[in-house]
Amino acid sequence: MAGTLQRQPTVTPARRLAWRAGAVVTALAITTLFLALSGRDPRLLADLVVRSTVGSRFGLEDLALFLTPLLLTGAAVTVTGRIGVWNIGAEGQFYAGAIGATAIGLFLPGPSWLLLPLMAASGIACGMGWILVPALARAYAGVNEIITTLLLNFVAGLLTTYLAVGPWHDRVTGALASTGRLPVRIPEIWGVVHWGFPIALAIVLGLAWLTTRTRWGYQITIGGANEQAARYAGIPVRARILGVMLLSGGLAALAGMFEVAGTVHRLQGGLANNFGYFGIVVAVLARGSCLNVLPAALLMAFILNAGIVLQTQQLTSSAVLAITGLVLFMIAIADELAHYRPVTIRPVTPRPATSAEARP
Amino acid sequence: MTDLRHTQPDAPPPIAPGTPPILQLQGICKYFPGVIANQDVSLDIAPGEIHALLGENGAGKSTLMNVVTGIYQPDGGEIILNGYGQSLAAPQDAIRAGIGMVHQHFKLVPAFTVAENIHLGWRETPFRASAKTLEARTRALSDRFGFSVRPDAIVADLSAGEQQRVEILRVLARQARLLILDEPTAVLTPAETRDLFRALRAFRAQGNAVILISHKLDEVIDISDRISILRAGRNVGTYRTADCTAAGLATLMVGREIVRRDLRARAPGAAPIAPAPVLSLRAATCRDPRGVETLRDVTLDLHGGEILGIAGVAGNGQRELTQVLTGMMPLSAGEILLDGTPAPLADPAAFARAGIGHIPEDRLRSGLAPSLDITDNMALREYDRPPIGRHGLYDRAAAARLAGTIVEAAEVRVPDLATPIRNLSGGNQQRLVARREIRIASRVLVAAYPSRGLDIGAIATVLRYLTELRDQGVAVVLVSEDLEELLNVADRIGVLFHGRLMATIDAATADMETIGLLMGGRSTQNSPARDGGQA
Ligand SMILES: Nc1ncnc2c1ncn2[C@@H]1O[C@H](COP(=O)(O)OP(=O)(O)OP(=O)(O)O)[C@@H](O)[C@H]1O
Ligand SMILES: [Mg+2]
Repeated sequence: MAGTLQRQPTVTPARRLAWRAGAVVTALAITTLFLALSGRDPRLLADLVVRSTVGSRFGLEDLALFLTPLLLTGAAVTVTGRIGVWNIGAEGQFYAGAIGATAIGLFLPGPSWLLLPLMAASGIACGMGWILVPALARAYAGVNEIITTLLLNFVAGLLTTYLAVGPWHDRVTGALASTGRLPVRIPEIWGVVHWGFPIALAIVLGLAWLTTRTRWGYQITIGGANEQAARYAGIPVRARILGVMLLSGGLAALAGMFEVAGTVHRLQGGLANNFGYFGIVVAVLARGSCLNVLPAALLMAFILNAGIVLQTQQLTSSAVLAITGLVLFMIAIADELAHYRPVTIRPVTPRPATSAEARP
Repeated sequence: MTDLRHTQPDAPPPIAPGTPPILQLQGICKYFPGVIANQDVSLDIAPGEIHALLGENGAGKSTLMNVVTGIYQPDGGEIILNGYGQSLAAPQDAIRAGIGMVHQHFKLVPAFTVAENIHLGWRETPFRASAKTLEARTRALSDRFGFSVRPDAIVADLSAGEQQRVEILRVLARQARLLILDEPTAVLTPAETRDLFRALRAFRAQGNAVILISHKLDEVIDISDRISILRAGRNVGTYRTADCTAAGLATLMVGREIVRRDLRARAPGAAPIAPAPVLSLRAATCRDPRGVETLRDVTLDLHGGEILGIAGVAGNGQRELTQVLTGMMPLSAGEILLDGTPAPLADPAAFARAGIGHIPEDRLRSGLAPSLDITDNMALREYDRPPIGRHGLYDRAAAARLAGTIVEAAEVRVPDLATPIRNLSGGNQQRLVARREIRIASRVLVAAYPSRGLDIGAIATVLRYLTELRDQGVAVVLVSEDLEELLNVADRIGVLFHGRLMATIDAATADMETIGLLMGGRSTQNSPARDGGQA
């Protein structure tokens, strides 16, 4: 008999990685093809993208600035995913964190070594507060968290805009667009890259350790895999759901604090730049593993950065979304295809079935 | 057609000579990484027969049937349907070819109604279907095939027997000519089993065929026409049921003879029954969310060194009793005492730390996390104590060592410990849970249907584990539907009816009739009850 394709129940990580790499390459190839069809020189654009992302110092700095919030929001969505909860509200918690940090930065005088930790703490507290109600509702009343966290994003976005153009608006220039420049900033370590980047990296690595090597992480893995079995083992599932969601809110909020205190230096509408939603994309790519957040966030940062470059070449900003969608789509296909393996069916000499001869 | 004068209504129909078998397997092979699940299996299923498939846990029965239903592709061999070679690329192909399967673990959508489940993924489901139409169609099907179901009930609320009827109806509605049942009676009450068998005979009488996988030899001999036996993935023979005896089949399956021991006899040097109870219930009462009493006023004492059997028709409070005894369910009234002092309410972790093990009724759903690997699953009870859990950490290497120990003690062969536990055979999952719980049961083991889904060799082993625990001075609660098993191993037998402990009787003087009457709720006059409802 001829060879057929057969679906394997499990896939080795190496195999999946190979397929995903293929998917990304395919997606980029398709993008190039479309660019070529719309009358641009793909070689020129590719050259430009590479030079202004990984091929130059400025590109790398930009990449790191994109990477910082993506690492944190990606981790925020990934940790809740481990206990079977989807935090769609990283965007809102990002804003809440930025607001909390700005409040301290604008209105509390003091040295920056004191103010920065305070801003972080205040931002994190605000982010946790922002997710608190959805978390309580999910843990103790079973209210679906996807809708509650999502809706709060719009509230947070509007609140930020209101503060930035309203009560907190810039008194120096008087322009109704943002708050004044924060008096303190996260120190830079390399060009425009500030300390938020290594801290975000360390946090993701720490989370990877926390989720796989600690008792707390084990409880969350079990709770996410089978809630009933977790109850059977005496794991306080509700408390863990609450804890993980608060942690998630705090992580996204820290991303907001880093963004406002390290990169933008003022609170303004649209500050979150969809980093909260791209965090969901990162989490989907990371498949529940905090370690995988690193490459997933890197890919996402690269796409965002490339999108900026393409915009300078008169491409519309929706191109970024289209490319992201294409990459995700190809990766989803690759994940499925990775299960299939060609097998050749060896014909076995047919024998008549044993029938009622022997007697037990 | 059939000569009605000589045929009983449910007997196998006479089949014209030369009729091709409904299904013929030739040299089927199926391999998993590190496991030979099926090797060169040949088999034929004639129309109008009930064909039993026997074999030890992990012998490859479920896998073979998954090949037949297109869930797995064979790595070798041929499937011939009604005389034509056929390749079944997907389950839909098998359904189209008239093969329907009811799986060991049900595959219904719990949140949907019966009618919705029946019509899910069915080509004949009307395009615009209201709940009413679906329910009416379901009722018609239910009448036609003689499986009574409640079309508007939510599946999650149904008993195992009712869920199974839905599964079978789902399959029959799709015009199956070959019905495959994987351990259908493991979760059924005797009455439900009788109903099922009646329906199967009616199905056979129409010239259809049934493949039945079961570990219960008496049932197999009762219902089947022919029997095939798998051992380590190979078909070691197909026999006419009329020629078989239970003992002979058991020997064939296991490859050696099974010796029955008197399990109630204690080994020399065994711990005596402790005078003071370890765990006691005082007037324990439970209510379900609707306020219905599921456990009523139960008072009992568990003593170290004895086995208390719990008999009763499923659904009479067994689940609640085991959950109360293991700290999973709070009491609405009454008390639970651990060593004479009130126990912390409903804290299963505290109960586990106190040395109370629990083999739960529904292992896959409540005792295991199917998608996780063997290591994580085996650590479920000991992750918070050394050597796995120290200073709030989870030591994966120590967990893997523990898993290795449990796998070895359970005599389960696994390719490696990173295999997701859902890839193990049903019986092997069970053995692992049993061993895991026995490890932590230093004071009490609550075992709910521990032999469910096990082959007879493994049942003997599990019962031996229980008696060994007893001899070490552990109090064992054995919930079972098998009276013979209870009479064989238990020292005392309590009978549950409608959540009430009808009586606790001495197993040495008990007889089946008395217990049977108590199980039906009949009062205990003239019975050898020792202390009328209280132990
Ligand atoms: N998807 C899978 N991946 C890897 N191994 C598997 C898979 N499915 C089954 N196996 C292995 O194949 C063997 C046969 O399993 P199978 O489920 O067919 O046994 P069974 O005869 O049905 O046993 P039981 O009576 O315990 O249900 C087992 O060793 C099992 O671990
Ligand atoms: Mg099986």
